[in-house]
Amino acid sequence: MADSGILAFEPKVVGFLCNWCSYAGADKAGAAQIPYPPNVNIIRVACTGRVDPVFILKAFEMGADGVLILACHPGDCHYKEGNLRAFQRHRILLRLLRDLGVEEERVRFDYVSAGEGDKFVKVISETVEALRNLGPMNGDSSKIHALSDDSHGGFHGQHIA
Amino acid sequence: MKTAVYFCTCSGNVTEKIDPEHVRQRLGELHEGVSFFEAGLLCSEEGRESLASDIAKNRPDRVVIAACSPREHEAEFMRALAAGGMNPYLMHMVNIREQVAWVTEDPAEASAKAARLISAGVARAALHEPLEKRELDVCPDAVVLGAGPAGLKAALLLAGAGRKVTLVEKSPLIGGMPVRYEELFPALECGPCMIEPLLGDVLHGELATNIELLTLSELTEVLGFYGNFSVKIKKRPRYADTEKCIGCAECVEACPVSAGNQYNYGMDERKAVYFPFPGALPNVPVLDEALCLRFSGGDCRLCADACPVPGAIDLDDREEIVGRKAGAVIVATGSGVYDCRGLPNLGYGEIAGVYTAPEFERLLAANGPTGGEIVGRDGRAPGSVAIIHCVGSMDKGHADYCSGICCRYALKFNHMLEKKLPGAKVYHFFRELAVPGKEDFALLKHARENPEALFIRYSDIRDLEIRDGGSGPSIIHRPGSGKSETFAAGMVVLCPAVVPAAGAGALAAMLDAPLDGFGFFEELHGRLDSAKSKMNGVYLAGACQAPMDIREAMSRGAAAAGCALSELVPGRMLDVSPLHGVVDAEKCSGCRVCVAVCPYKAISFDPELGAAEINPVLCRGCGTCAAACPLEAIGANHFTTGEILAEMEGALNG
Repeated sequence: MADSGILAFEPKVVGFLCNWCSYAGADKAGAAQIPYPPNVNIIRVACTGRVDPVFILKAFEMGADGVLILACHPGDCHYKEGNLRAFQRHRILLRLLRDLGVEEERVRFDYVSAGEGDKFVKVISETVEALRNLGPMNGDSSKIHALSDDSHGGFHGQHIA
Repeated sequence: MKTAVYFCTCSGNVTEKIDPEHVRQRLGELHEGVSFFEAGLLCSEEGRESLASDIAKNRPDRVVIAACSPREHEAEFMRALAAGGMNPYLMHMVNIREQVAWVTEDPAEASAKAARLISAGVARAALHEPLEKRELDVCPDAVVLGAGPAGLKAALLLAGAGRKVTLVEKSPLIGGMPVRYEELFPALECGPCMIEPLLGDVLHGELATNIELLTLSELTEVLGFYGNFSVKIKKRPRYADTEKCIGCAECVEACPVSAGNQYNYGMDERKAVYFPFPGALPNVPVLDEALCLRFSGGDCRLCADACPVPGAIDLDDREEIVGRKAGAVIVATGSGVYDCRGLPNLGYGEIAGVYTAPEFERLLAANGPTGGEIVGRDGRAPGSVAIIHCVGSMDKGHADYCSGICCRYALKFNHMLEKKLPGAKVYHFFRELAVPGKEDFALLKHARENPEALFIRYSDIRDLEIRDGGSGPSIIHRPGSGKSETFAAGMVVLCPAVVPAAGAGALAAMLDAPLDGFGFFEELHGRLDSAKSKMNGVYLAGACQAPMDIREAMSRGAAAAGCALSELVPGRMLDVSPLHGVVDAEKCSGCRVCVAVCPYKAISFDPELGAAEINPVLCRGCGTCAAACPLEAIGANHFTTGEILAEMEGALNG
């Protein structure tokens, strides 16, 4: 192992997974015992529609280097359309993060079904690899804080449903 | 706060990778008040019992179970907590098997990740609220919309279980489509003979006391929700009393005016007071206001005067709005058929010899306009019949799916033509042939063996043109390649696509139960829960969901009744999950973004309160409203912002 510099960097990642498809997909990868990097900490939500963009800003504030949102494929959402809401919110958040100097690769949205253990491992591995190459989070944390903290003037004030 | 962490070794499987000692130490460094317990196999009966007794003895404030995926045993552990006297929502499960031990190669990394995730679980659990299931009284009775095969089956099964059923039928008669058909596929069974006993059960059988039949009636308003609907039904006047009328038809004889009979597609006439066709049940006439002289300024009362039973004809009958309470609504409103005029090349409505399949069914029926004789509008029997399959089906501009039933009834026609018009040629023009079913294939086999039957495949319905050939229609088939062929047929029968019923959209809006992309009622899940709509308490049965045959419609009716019986049990309260959204009315500004995003119409705006309100019975706990609320005025129980952030922080800094 390299002893210094960017190669020694291990990114911290938060993964929001919906209970019905993607979390089950992660369980499939587990049952198949396919190894993947331990960097991603999974937070189970009922639906990715629950993922408030503020959670993602907060994750960066708390020291995350990247965030993953894994949803049911279009048409498979247990709650009809929460995955598509999550997709919309992700698109808007990316624009905002770009203005703050946060690279797009730090917030990945993808679809993983309950059967796609392999895809889950692929997404995790790719994300961790991309973040290793990017290095630690270097966005303007004071601006991120301003967005995530003040719910009136912050992100919530301007995002659409 | 006392938090008990139970670390399940999964019989030593998990501990091959994760060192419990490391986890214990790390938790000790990060949290106060954590007790750490190692268990061999927590999910076993023994394991769960010892968990319950341990909780009863030690009385922790929170419990964290580090074990397998919560998708496996979470519900069982929650019951163990309850058995130990603790609110089950005060527990959090951490998945250290599927997400750590089984997928992490390096044991040191696995131990570190497990410690992080469990620490996150401890932080999250600290914020858990002792949530309680709510219970609601329910009305176990049902409203069934539509008295065709699906609705009849559902109504009879519900009535058989002692439930009160309001059976709402739009037309004056019950039985749906099959009572209009002489014979049914696949076994060429007599339609009225098959279904009339069922109709008798609904009208006069032992279960009839539990069924209130409202004919000429439609739903006009739905209030309330699952378990407690309050509906309004508009009942149009029949002008004949179904209790008093003896069905003698003296009134019909006396009536001086007539017009085309819509139940025979205008192929014969009926009076202003009429029976749709002989044998239609209930055996009571109905009066057509648009035709009756009395309703166009006249003073005719010949029907009432001819009636031998005083009061059986009631010319003062008026429209009524009736209210009913029900826990469940079963939609069994059936389908419509494609309007064949949408394909002008087929000449329907223009050429006398071109019929639709429902019209042809009436020609075959002994109680139809011709007494079951297959004769054209000119009164002559055709020497040959062309049956055009797939009219509007599998066609992008029309109905982009296979209607499923048409081939089988077309092959039934083949069979009946053989009997009724021996020697007549039968041409089948088809795009695809679909004849599924263990009994049904025999129909195709039989037709193939008929030397007079000819099967001609076309690739696009626009390759066919039907012209008036003078002595009858002629069909010109112009394939994309190859030469055109012309077939003369005395009669042409079009098999139209099965399409959503005309009123489906309005009914769907009233029930808040969505339609699918085709316009049929959308199922909660097409395979898992096809008897339920996406609205709690609204069940689906029959051709309102998709094209289907009688057998399937009956089964779907039974399925819908089964779901309603299992979910709404007299004397049992309705469990309302505590995992729903909660509005803080103080914070809510009344912007109603949440109302717009809720996929279940569970959120309404209360103008008096000036705030949104979530109905916990309709809410399914997805949390998209909580994410959408610009003022963080909506919380999602058990997935609160605080809980999620605490878990996240624990995982990032543990």
